[in-house]
Amino acid sequence: SRLLQAFPLPSLPRKQPTVLVVCGPAQNGAIGLVCARHLRIFDYEPTIFYPKRSPDPLYRDFTTQCEKMDIPFLSYLPTEVQLINDAYNAVVDAVLGAEAEVGEGREPCAAILATLKHIRIPIVSLDVPSGWDAESGGSGGISPDVLVSLAAPKECARRFLGRQHFVAGRFLPYDVQKKFELNPPEYPGTECVVAL
Amino acid sequence: QEEAQAIDQELFTEYKFSVDQLMELAGLSCATAIAKAYPPSSFTSSQPAVLVVCGPGNNGGDGLVCARHLKMFGYLPTVYYPKRPSKPLFEGLTTQCEKMDIPFLPEFPTEAAFIDEVYGLVVDAIFGFSFKGAVREPFGSILSTLERVTVPIASIDIPSGWDVEKGKADGLQPDMLISLTAPKKAATHFAGRYHFLGGRFVPPALQEKYALNLPAYPGTDCVLQLT
Repeated sequence: SRLLQAFPLPSLPRKQPTVLVVCGPAQNGAIGLVCARHLRIFDYEPTIFYPKRSPDPLYRDFTTQCEKMDIPFLSYLPTEVQLINDAYNAVVDAVLGAEAEVGEGREPCAAILATLKHIRIPIVSLDVPSGWDAESGGSGGISPDVLVSLAAPKECARRFLGRQHFVAGRFLPYDVQKKFELNPPEYPGTECVVAL
Repeated sequence: QEEAQAIDQELFTEYKFSVDQLMELAGLSCATAIAKAYPPSSFTSSQPAVLVVCGPGNNGGDGLVCARHLKMFGYLPTVYYPKRPSKPLFEGLTTQCEKMDIPFLPEFPTEAAFIDEVYGLVVDAIFGFSFKGAVREPFGSILSTLERVTVPIASIDIPSGWDVEKGKADGLQPDMLISLTAPKKAATHFAGRYHFLGGRFVPPALQEKYALNLPAYPGTDCVLQLT
């Protein structure tokens, strides 16, 4: 299922379709890697920041796929937010997902989130805005412009105040949907993303 | 055929794609292309029933993925999968279909007319671009039956039984062909109504290296209609 991720469809304002994809150390980060690769196929120019790499062989392969597709990996994240604002059209937040621990968070995630809080370009968060508690949401955390809930929205999505909320990851069998009373929205046609 | 195999090799060894990843994207493309050409509303019966015939290799795997996505898209697929490799990939794909209540036929319908009556479309996922040599049973008889079917047939990558480069004038004549990654030489002999390109995962550098000259996919679509 991780192999089939979906991508929000923003409209980009800038000349070069540059996107910064910030990937955390676990599954959410791996999803970010897959997302970056597809963005490249869609003719965007993604750049990845992936400071703490998972040893999982599947995720290491995702990294190789990105590298071989000439997607640059930053060696550090500028703390000068203006540099980020100027270089990219949007940031994909694939730092922490629903499995993350609540609270301050560990390095390097805490520092990354501190920087992301101050950027002005739109943030697209994958599944859970990083740093938010998956259930109660966050105050003082990042404020994404777009949220892409994976499979189904998490509790914290109720607190999402950004512009667009998508559900993606059209792979849940009906019996699973029923068993967990998920009631996901209907996907249009063959789309793998639906706007809520 | 060698080029297609070379590209595959690079994707697996250099780029470290897993077979699972590419098969998932390939199968999804097939289901998407089918949904575009034969939307459920186009079926003459009230149930959009589709028969997916899966062969013994990767083409069959593509078929299993396709069947699963067809189910998600609202079709009623049934699978015939007589020769199953005992590898976790294929066992997993089979389980996913079974758990989604996709029936697996115990026997292949003996009469083409029976297929025509029950199904509005047949997906040919028997043999792909690695096919060489003689067709072994039960696929010989299956292909003979399919050649007499009148409902549309959608072939994944190569119409089964065709020579991968030269085609087969007296063989299967599918209505739709979904070429994966890039059209193969055999596609020049394709005479059906719909030719789609799928498998939108070839990195730009590989496309250049093999001079694939693929036309651009529209937007974020995973398929491109060629004809």
